[in-house]
Amino acid sequence: MYVWIWRHLPGNAWMKALISLILVLAIVYVLFQYVFPWAEPLLPFNDVTVDNGMPVTGGTAVAS
Amino acid sequence: MERRGTGAVARTDGDEPQLQQEADRDEPRRQQGPDRPRPGGARGRIAAVVSFIGELLITAGVIMALFVVYSLWWTNVLADREAKRQANHVRHNWAKPAGPGALDTKDGIGFLHVPAMKNGEVLVKPGTGTGVLNEGVAGFYRDPVPAAMPWDKQGNFTLAAHRDGHGAKFHNIDKIETGDPVVFETRDVWYVYKVYGELKETSRFNVDVLDAVPKESGKTVPGRYLTLTTCTPVYTSDYRYIVWAELERTEKVDAKRTPPKELR
Repeated sequence: MYVWIWRHLPGNAWMKALISLILVLAIVYVLFQYVFPWAEPLLPFNDVTVDNGMPVTGGTAVAS
Repeated sequence: MERRGTGAVARTDGDEPQLQQEADRDEPRRQQGPDRPRPGGARGRIAAVVSFIGELLITAGVIMALFVVYSLWWTNVLADREAKRQANHVRHNWAKPAGPGALDTKDGIGFLHVPAMKNGEVLVKPGTGTGVLNEGVAGFYRDPVPAAMPWDKQGNFTLAAHRDGHGAKFHNIDKIETGDPVVFETRDVWYVYKVYGELKETSRFNVDVLDAVPKESGKTVPGRYLTLTTCTPVYTSDYRYIVWAELERTEKVDAKRTPPKELR
C-alpha cells in the first residue's frame, strides 16, 4: 500500500518525501480536528455522559 | 545463395543478442532461488495481500497511539485555553461595578480552589454535560439531583469535572485528605470548606452521594456541604471518586481580593 503510494508520487525522492510529510500532517490534522472529537464520546474511556445519556430512573450519576 | 546466406547470418546475428538478453534476464531469477516469488505469481499475490494487511495493522496502531495523544494531551491544551478565556471573562465582569440585575450564572458562578490538587483555580459553571465539562471547567449538578448553591442556607453544592483530558481539573482528587481546605470564590464571598469524608470508589449509578444530606458521608442533619465527583481509576471511567466537605466559615471579599489564609 505505502510502496504503491510512494511509487505514484511525482518528482524525485526529496519531492516524494516532502509530499509524504504534507500528506501525513494533513491526515493528523483531520484526525485531531474531526475524527477523534467524533469518536471520543462513543468510546468508554472518558465517560461523562452516563449522567445525561440515560433517562433519569434513579440510576445514572456522577460525571467522570 | 550468398545473399540469403548473408541474410541468414545477419538474422542470426540479430537474434543472438536477444537470446542472450533473455538468458541474462532469466539468470538472476533462477539465482534468487524459490523464496523470491515471481511478480504476478500466486506467491507474489499472497505476499502482497499479507503485506497489505500488515500495513493496515501498523496504520491502526499508529492511529490508536495518536488517539491517546489526543485524549491525554491535546484536549487539555484546548480545554485550558477555553477555561482561561472564560475565567478572564468572569473576572472582567466582576471587576465592573455591580449592576442591579440578577446574578449572572451563565458564564460561571465562581472559582474553586483546592490547594491539595495543586491546579490553581477552576471555573465553576452550571451543568455537568459533556459540552460544559469539556471546556476545562467544573460543573455543578442540575441533574439528576440539583445542587444547592454555596449561599443557600443548607444543601449540598455538588460538582463534577474531568479526571483526565479536557483540562483534567480533578486529576489529583486522590491527593485530597480529610481536613484539607476547599475554597469557593464568588464575586463577594470566600466560602471556606473543610474536607471530612471521601469515597475512593463507588458505582457510577450511586446518585445518593449528591443528596442534600449525603448519608454515606456519615452526616444525618442538614448542613452546608460540598461534594466533588470525578471518575476513577485514572484513565478510565469504571467507578466514581467522591470527596465531601462542610462549610467552615465565609469571608467577605475585600477590595484587593485578599485570599483567605488557606490559600496563602
